[in-house]
Amino acid sequence: MKYIPLIMAGIWRKPARAILTMLSVMIAFTLFGLTIGMNATFDKVEQNAHNDRLYTNPRFSNNGMPVAIAGQIEKLPGVTRVAYESFIAGYHQDPKNRVFVALLNPDVRKLMPDWPLTPAQWDKIAQNRDGVVISKIQALQWKLKPGDTFTIVAPLFAKADGSTSWTFQVLDVADDIAYMSAGYMMGNFDYLDKARPAASQGRANQFFVQASDPTRTADIAQLIDTNFANSANPTQSITEKAAFDVSNSGLDIAAVDRDIALAGMFMVLFLTANGIARSVRERFAEFAMLKTLGYSDMTVMALVFWEAALPCVTGAILGVGLASGISAILPHLFPPGGGVPLPTMTGIVFVWAGLSAALVALASSALPALRLRQMDIATALSGR
Amino acid sequence: MLRQIAAVTLLNFKSLPNRLWPSLVIVVGMACVIAVLISMLSLTTGYVESEMKAGDPGRAIVIADGVENENASSLTRDQANMIMDAPGIKKDADGSVVAESEVMVGAPVTRKTGIRTYLLIRGFGSKGVELRPEFKIIAGRMFHPGAQEMIIGKAGQDQFAGMAIGDKIILPNGQWPIVGVFSTNGDILEGELLADRDTLMAAVKRTAFNSVLARLAPGPGAMELLKNALTGNPALSVIAERHSTYYEHFSAPNAILFSAVAYVVGGIMALGALFGALNTMYAAVSARSREIATLRAIGFGALPVAVSVVTESLLLALSGALIGSAIAWLLFNGSQKAYFNNVFDLKVTPGLIGLGFAWALAVALLGGLLPSIRAARLPIVDALRAT
Repeated sequence: MKYIPLIMAGIWRKPARAILTMLSVMIAFTLFGLTIGMNATFDKVEQNAHNDRLYTNPRFSNNGMPVAIAGQIEKLPGVTRVAYESFIAGYHQDPKNRVFVALLNPDVRKLMPDWPLTPAQWDKIAQNRDGVVISKIQALQWKLKPGDTFTIVAPLFAKADGSTSWTFQVLDVADDIAYMSAGYMMGNFDYLDKARPAASQGRANQFFVQASDPTRTADIAQLIDTNFANSANPTQSITEKAAFDVSNSGLDIAAVDRDIALAGMFMVLFLTANGIARSVRERFAEFAMLKTLGYSDMTVMALVFWEAALPCVTGAILGVGLASGISAILPHLFPPGGGVPLPTMTGIVFVWAGLSAALVALASSALPALRLRQMDIATALSGR
Repeated sequence: MLRQIAAVTLLNFKSLPNRLWPSLVIVVGMACVIAVLISMLSLTTGYVESEMKAGDPGRAIVIADGVENENASSLTRDQANMIMDAPGIKKDADGSVVAESEVMVGAPVTRKTGIRTYLLIRGFGSKGVELRPEFKIIAGRMFHPGAQEMIIGKAGQDQFAGMAIGDKIILPNGQWPIVGVFSTNGDILEGELLADRDTLMAAVKRTAFNSVLARLAPGPGAMELLKNALTGNPALSVIAERHSTYYEHFSAPNAILFSAVAYVVGGIMALGALFGALNTMYAAVSARSREIATLRAIGFGALPVAVSVVTESLLLALSGALIGSAIAWLLFNGSQKAYFNNVFDLKVTPGLIGLGFAWALAVALLGGLLPSIRAARLPIVDALRAT
């Protein structure tokens, strides 16, 4: 504690240098916060995946499968419950305004207790065939509130009478679901199903399957696919855990994020190292004086470390703080429904930032500190 | 004046080795910024290039109205025939139109990284190859019409497991062997499987096509002719676009997203590097203060001194940009990436490198300007006295 004035005096010897260094570090940690925060979002989605759930889709091209398959899957050993959904994909007013409505059968509610829909909202969907509960993002995107009607045109989803326009009543607005970053609209399976031509009725696009043993979900996925492999409706099943893995897109975005954060850290490492090395070189005689006064090697080295660490840690805190601020403002800067995930500033992000800042400080002060330990006091004092 | 600038700048560079380590802050900082910026933008350029290559402006594509792309489109046989009867489409010597309906089927595959995904199987009709002069078989042979066999694109073979000639793809009616590998000049098609359209449709019990691809008749106005004929036909609800326009629209959302992320990340890093550059250049001016004061005392003007500072910062930043571009080029140019079912090579183009240099230039100018003003205003007497 008593060394703090000494350390501060060292830092403030060159205020411009101290401030500019801290600003660089701050900017690097803003980027660090945003990228690692993005990875925290991905991790959260993956961690929130229910190990006991899996999804079964048609193996080839999604024209749907008979809903009777739900009953067949349910009879397979290890399966406790099956629900299903279909969807309407179309547009609102202009073909550019893509809309996607998931139409759920009543059992989805039992399989997806983690979805933020309240029992009252589920009841409303069940009771109103043409109703939808929409997420906040979608409500914002289409400027909708409960009680509004919303019409979409879906050329590929013709009704029995040939019409392709579908009108929904907005029942309520619910919280968003982290992994549906563009928001959602959820309606009643029967609305689409009963309106379709007879030949297209009774078909679902995706089955939600719950396994009795969470450790055997992957086996059950395999079992379902094997079971239907040679049927008229071959399936492709995937566990929720695997489906939520961010690297599914083929681009490992998490790795890209880490590389960017690393590049930023490398940049500030060089910068801080240079600053502290210069500062120590300029004050070599002063450090020699301290040692003459009886300061131990350890104390002098610690002084140098803290002189590097203080701007680093301050910059890191400010930077991650700025990143938190930016992630809070971001949703208001973009039109809603864009579907871009946002960084989450979890504790882990702060821990990593703190560790990285400490590491940068340690690495950049190591060489100057060693030089101080090995210096010849007499030479240094004489200024040679 | 110019001679003064040259003299001071030269003198400055001669003393640069004494300030080697601090100067490296700018070089390393810029190298990091430019390497990250160019690497990320090479994703956009690679992706857009592979999409745009597929879009020959001499071709037209017709898809259902109200859908985003051909994957989501659906056209009945009658509709397809009506489309191919429309004017504006090139005719062969035998009078038949150079147009063909195509179909796309998703097939589950595994990436070489072990991740399961869907790959597109495109069904070619008899004119599929004629429509695409860029199409070449580079190994094995073409599939035989009517046979249950496929060929795989060059990039798809690199990206997905089990795509060697002789490997089999499971379809509902059995296993289809891969009999050849094709190239389409590095466009997006190279990430797909190809099979005979009618045989494929029978296998997956599909009756509707996804799109119609047509070679436009020679001469200007063919596209307008086709478009007007199709939109004027009350029995059709379709969109006709030049194939190049289609891919432009198709790739735009991803391209904008990738670029926006790259520019935001690059911009933040550049700001960090700017503070670093300011720091270094202020230190350089203070290290050179006696030299500068001496120069001023013997009659050198303030401007040459200021210019020498900015020049130094430019030189350092540009060498950083050079290193950064080289890193991005070495690490990523030509490396293959997949984004959902698009497979493409990253491209570090001269344009991107130019952009990187422009960024470095901007950071160097901003980072050199304030310190150069300080250098120009240095109180001569004080600086000479300073030890």
